[in-house]
Amino acid sequence: MRYVYFPGCSLETVAKSYDVSARLTAEKLGVELTELEDWNCCGATAYFHIDEILAHTLCARNLAMAEKTGLDVVAPCSACYKNMGETNAHLKQDAELRDHINIALKEDGLEFSGQQRVLHLVDVFTEDVGIENIRKNVVNSLKGLHVAPYYGCQILRPKMGRENIENPEFLEDLISATGAEAVDYPLKTECCGGSLIMTKNPVALKMIKNLLACAADKGADLIVTTCPLCQVNLECYQKQVNRKYGTEFSLPVLYITQVLGFALGIPKDDLLIGSELSSPAGLLTRFSREAV
Amino acid sequence: MNGKRILLIDDDPDYVYAVKMILEKANYSVRVSYSPKEGYAALQDGEFDLVIVDVMMGRGAEGIIVARKLKKDRELKKLPLLMITGIREQTGFFFIGDPRHETFLPVDGFLEKPVNTEVLLNKVRELLHSDQTAELKQEKQGEEP
Amino acid sequence: MTERPSFQKEVSNLMSVLDGNPIDVCIQCGTCSGSCPAVEYMDYSPRHIIALIRSDLKDEVLNSDTIWCCSSCYNCTVRCPKEIKITEMMYALKRYSIWKHQYREGAIGPAFSRKFVRMVVKTGKSYEPGLAPTFMFRYGMRGMIDNMQLGMSLFNKKRIAILPKTVKRIKNFRRVLNRIIPIGVEK
Repeated sequence: MRYVYFPGCSLETVAKSYDVSARLTAEKLGVELTELEDWNCCGATAYFHIDEILAHTLCARNLAMAEKTGLDVVAPCSACYKNMGETNAHLKQDAELRDHINIALKEDGLEFSGQQRVLHLVDVFTEDVGIENIRKNVVNSLKGLHVAPYYGCQILRPKMGRENIENPEFLEDLISATGAEAVDYPLKTECCGGSLIMTKNPVALKMIKNLLACAADKGADLIVTTCPLCQVNLECYQKQVNRKYGTEFSLPVLYITQVLGFALGIPKDDLLIGSELSSPAGLLTRFSREAV
Repeated sequence: MNGKRILLIDDDPDYVYAVKMILEKANYSVRVSYSPKEGYAALQDGEFDLVIVDVMMGRGAEGIIVARKLKKDRELKKLPLLMITGIREQTGFFFIGDPRHETFLPVDGFLEKPVNTEVLLNKVRELLHSDQTAELKQEKQGEEP
Repeated sequence: MTERPSFQKEVSNLMSVLDGNPIDVCIQCGTCSGSCPAVEYMDYSPRHIIALIRSDLKDEVLNSDTIWCCSSCYNCTVRCPKEIKITEMMYALKRYSIWKHQYREGAIGPAFSRKFVRMVVKTGKSYEPGLAPTFMFRYGMRGMIDNMQLGMSLFNKKRIAILPKTVKRIKNFRRVLNRIIPIGVEK
């Protein structure tokens, strides 16, 4: 199982723990990830607000570089996954746009022909590695831990061939494979506010508050996410939410790869568990075999 | 009317209204298309001496796609093509110098909005005249034994 | 002579050819509004915006804060019974609004998006601290303190880059972009 790996801008900085834990977990499960050389930003949502053709060009450059490796592209960030998946589909359909962008890509010695697939890292774990394989490799069972599976939006929407987007279960399957209990989380596919946390802060804070309240209500010990923006929104703004709404949330929010990695026996520190503003390091200690 | 027909492809109705008025006052006959699609249709069923194209339309810099398409077409590439753009205003990008390029931005003239009336009319005249000059040259060549 | 286009025509011109003319087919069922997580903050719901577009009420649409409350979650798009790409329509409206400089006073989105786009053109990657000035002073004194505190906390956890990162083949990268939109970078 070899893929070209597209970390995305956030994983180099605010979501470093996602990057590190993703690589370690993939390695543990026999998935070979080679970072795409000289990748550029996928454009997030901002590029669509200025020039959609330019937005597609950014992703097309990444896809064209991936083509040279002959491998499919894996993205851990839901926004990157969505942007590159959409550009891939769009350019395959729209020949005029494809030709137009290919004229531009020549400036970097590249050409897009749509040979690659774009996958989310989580799909590689659930489909290529398989839940059973993961379960077999768990050494630190997380039995007794209650985890809220937070999908967010862009791993599911817009529809890119995924069947069940209203009530998906693949994250719950991954959580169960670690021995932990996946909490029933009705808001699991609701938006976290995305970049509104910067451009329209009050709207995003309300959305975050709803998500945290629901998870707390359902008895979650921690929330797992599959997207850096979701993780930052849910984790880093709890203080602001508490002040605005008079709540007392202090729910840890981790990346699915950190929880998975831990269950597979990778040391907490290697997974950068502890780089959160409110760390669940203490919480996880009791599940670690080393601690016993 | 001085007999010269101009096709204006620009999605901004307010700007189009102003430019059309200026050109018509200078006795040009002007037809307007508000999208590249409409523009191509107009070129199919009408005859023009000059095409003026905006850059930012539709999904983004569609005007560039239009310019390249026209200059690739065997018939249409003879038509002088003037690009008028508000990119700087619209997107906040700064650009330096003249971005024309014979393959990538094959336009015959390039002006930035807001365009001064005099500058616009001079440019239009220049491009139409150079078209005439090219025609005259061709005729002359035809005359020589 | 072609007639001046209605606002509805203008909006559909802004969308991809593949999307057809979606606003025509809306049946005003309200599923989009019911699915929108930000609807309670919008002065017009997504359904209402489509009705306004059809009624040619351009100023109402552009001066509302609906489009700037949209987080692109695509809930509306996947549930619309007529398969209208409502999120794409929101992007189109944002483009229109930014290109024409017509938006409600105080909207942060336009400046934020422009800065983001310029930053990526310059270095090929996004850089959060570079974006901060577009919004951190817009939420009052409390907002500014919150943002600074958050910045410091993240910095202490080594989650903020001090300097922006740049793509290696940046000159080529900029030339690629220049062939799409003539921003005239170094030849």
